[in-house]
Amino acid sequence: MTFLMITGRTVNQGVTVEHKTSAAYAEETSTCFMHEFDMLELGLADRDTVRVTGPSGEVVMRASASVEVEMGTVFVPYGPYANHIVAADTHSTGMPDFKSHEVEIEPTDEEPKRVHELMEDLGGLAYDR
Amino acid sequence: MIVKDAVCPFCGCLCDDIEVEVEEGRVIAVTNACELGTKKFMGEERLKGPILRDGNEWKDITCEEAIRYAADMLLSAERPLLYGWSGTHGEAQCVGVHMAELVRGVIDNTSSVCHGPSILAIQEVGHPGCTLGVVKNRADLVIYWGSNPIDAHPRHLSRYTRYAEGFFLENAFRDRKVIVIDVRKTETANIADEFVQIKPGGDYAVLSALRAIVQGKTETIPRTVAGVTREQLVRVANLCKGAKFGAVYFGLGLTMTRGKYKNIRNAIELVSELSRHTKFTISAMRGHYNVYGSNEVNTWMTGYPFGIDFSRGIAFYNPGETTAVDILARKECDAALIVGSDPAAHFPRRCLEHLAEIPVVQLDPYPNATTAFCNVQIPVAVTGIDAEGTAYRMDGVPIRTRRVLSTDYPSDREVLSRMYALMQEAKGQ
Repeated sequence: MTFLMITGRTVNQGVTVEHKTSAAYAEETSTCFMHEFDMLELGLADRDTVRVTGPSGEVVMRASASVEVEMGTVFVPYGPYANHIVAADTHSTGMPDFKSHEVEIEPTDEEPKRVHELMEDLGGLAYDR
Repeated sequence: MIVKDAVCPFCGCLCDDIEVEVEEGRVIAVTNACELGTKKFMGEERLKGPILRDGNEWKDITCEEAIRYAADMLLSAERPLLYGWSGTHGEAQCVGVHMAELVRGVIDNTSSVCHGPSILAIQEVGHPGCTLGVVKNRADLVIYWGSNPIDAHPRHLSRYTRYAEGFFLENAFRDRKVIVIDVRKTETANIADEFVQIKPGGDYAVLSALRAIVQGKTETIPRTVAGVTREQLVRVANLCKGAKFGAVYFGLGLTMTRGKYKNIRNAIELVSELSRHTKFTISAMRGHYNVYGSNEVNTWMTGYPFGIDFSRGIAFYNPGETTAVDILARKECDAALIVGSDPAAHFPRRCLEHLAEIPVVQLDPYPNATTAFCNVQIPVAVTGIDAEGTAYRMDGVPIRTRRVLSTDYPSDREVLSRMYALMQEAKGQ
């Protein structure tokens, strides 16, 4: 199913932001907040994993029901998971479309990668595994 | 030891009433700060010393070696990028601008991926803003547009708006109305007197509709605009016109969606329109600590707030060309110095693919996502905790921040000054 992906700040993202190697940061930034009905339609229970495909790739996240998002929209806290699939085009403003990406979401059996693994996939070398 | 009136180093609110209890060189308790600030003050697990990537291993190196590495990297690069700067003080930002000019590099700060578009709009139509104190004491109407302070600026509501006392308001909680306009029904929407829910991408249309109503052209408005009924739009416009003093605070809901700076321009023009009827102001909810200061320092030193390219030997500014995301995505820079930010967590993947291919030096107290792309990382004192200096609050008020801890870590300014001295020496200056 196609969704509009919005990224943004959450308190949990903010309190873990100085500890990007922590499990808490990975858990928060890999959460895909969805409308309950959309989850029902995709056959998802809370914390089930989903493959989210955007303009520059795909990433595995966990779905979580939220009353804050409308049907057809998903919300993902700022971080390396959302940015793994966000395009770098800025339309001559310097600012990518962090809050207006169309993504495809489907259930999957895969587990979300750790932040380290995402960085290493792109050519980095994790320091504090 | 208890340090009173410490300044919080997390967001642009720069709350200056924090009490920090320190024992044996560690922060053990924090009073008055929000959850974000408390966690930042209590932060541990810092990197112990500078590290160097050696193939597929990390090696410990001395601070001297790390600084020399960074200076050599910047001197030998053809188009170095110096990025970040929001998490550090004005004193360090000044050194950064000098370094960028010396090596004819590009210096950009995190505003290019937060309120950069707001600055573009301000450059077009101006900024009818005011300080937070004016809003606290005078505003009887506050609008949060595309902004969710409960999560991003938790004390903005208690210090300046919803839950704050106001000198010119008899009963601020009763007399001050709060309107939240957003695509999501956020926690902040739940404490608003009026919540306006817009369909994603509809902000520009709603701003235009409000402008038309304020101009007395209500009959031109269709039954709904981006999911908002005409009745609600008229109600909101009347609340605005009826206010004695209104303040709009907007967030990244306007800058990160399609339309970008045009959204902000329309919002500023709505405020100008409202100011024909009453007093109205508008300001950005600046997020990252001293990001405002970074714009200030850049502007007074180069004439431009972010995305400054010195490759021509003079300051050149063209957002979309000279901004960090674009430079990395085009694989244009051949070295990067990162200070006070974590682009690997916040930039699109294509930018990281290029970071992996070029030498990168980062100044940061903690191992973060960008560490994985570093050749060298130098741990520095945490700005606002064990390093003191000047930071700008979101409303442009400079505040001298105090140190609450003493550690052996050098500050950003010290490390950058040593780097700059080596570079000047090499250039024969």
